[in-house]
Amino acid sequence: MSTDNPYAQYHVVKQGETLSKIAEEYYGDKMLYPKIFEANKDVLQDPNKIKPGQKLRIP
Amino acid sequence: MRIANLFVALAATTLMLAGCASQKEPAEKALAQVESSLAEFRADAEKYAAEELQAVEGSIAKMKASVANKDYSAVVKAAPALNSTIASLRETVATKKADADAMMAAAEAEWTDLSAKVPQMVEAIQSRVDTLGKSRKLPKDMDKATWETVKTDFETMKTEWTDASSQFASGQAGEAVRKAREVKSRGDMILSQLGMTPS
Repeated sequence: MSTDNPYAQYHVVKQGETLSKIAEEYYGDKMLYPKIFEANKDVLQDPNKIKPGQKLRIP
Repeated sequence: MRIANLFVALAATTLMLAGCASQKEPAEKALAQVESSLAEFRADAEKYAAEELQAVEGSIAKMKASVANKDYSAVVKAAPALNSTIASLRETVATKKADADAMMAAAEAEWTDLSAKVPQMVEAIQSRVDTLGKSRKLPKDMDKATWETVKTDFETMKTEWTDASSQFASGQAGEAVRKAREVKSRGDMILSQLGMTPS
C-alpha cells in the first residue's frame, strides 16, 4: 500500500509495546507481526526494536 | 345582364388567382425560412426538447401541405406564429443544453475526486482483508459475522466500482457518479467495521 494513501491506518507505539502485541491488537494474531515490520522498513531496522512515539503503518 | 354577370365572375376569379399567385413566393420563402431556422439547432432540440420539436415539425408539415395545395395565404398567415414558436424553442433548447453541460461538468469534477479516493480505499481494505484472512483468530473487537459481512461487502464494492468505471468510460458520467457515491459509502462502512479510521 502506498505511503500517501489517506485510508492507511497508523499506530503510535506506546511504552512497553512490541510488534507482536500490535499485530495481535489489529489482526488478532501476534504471529502476523512481520506484516507490520515489512510495511515500516523505512523506519524500522529490527522487528524487536521499536520505540515509544514511533508512528507505524498498519497494512 | 347574364353576360355582365359572367364578366364580373370571370374578373373576380382572375383577381383571386392573381392574388393567390402573388402569395406563392412569400409562402415558399416563409417555409424555407422556418426550415432553415430549425435546422440550425435541430440536433440539440432532438436531445433536449423532443416533444416541442415534434410539435414544430407538425406545424411545418402542415405548411408544406398548404404549399402543395397552393393555399399560399395560409402559409403566409401561419409563418409569423411558427417563427415565434421556433425562436422560443431555440431558447428552451439553449437553456436545457446549458443546464446539462453544467451538470456534466459537475459530475466530471466529482468523478475526478471519487476516482482518486475509491481505489485508495480499495487498496487499504484489500491489504487488511488479505492480512486478516491469514490470521488464526479475529481481533477482539470483531466477531465472525462482521468479518463475513466485510468480505461480502468488499467483493460487492469492487464489482460496483468496476461497473461505475465502465459507465463513466461509456459517457454516462451522471450514473457513474451516483454509483461511485454508493461505492464510497460502502467503503466507509467497511473501514468502520474493520476499525480502520482514516488518518
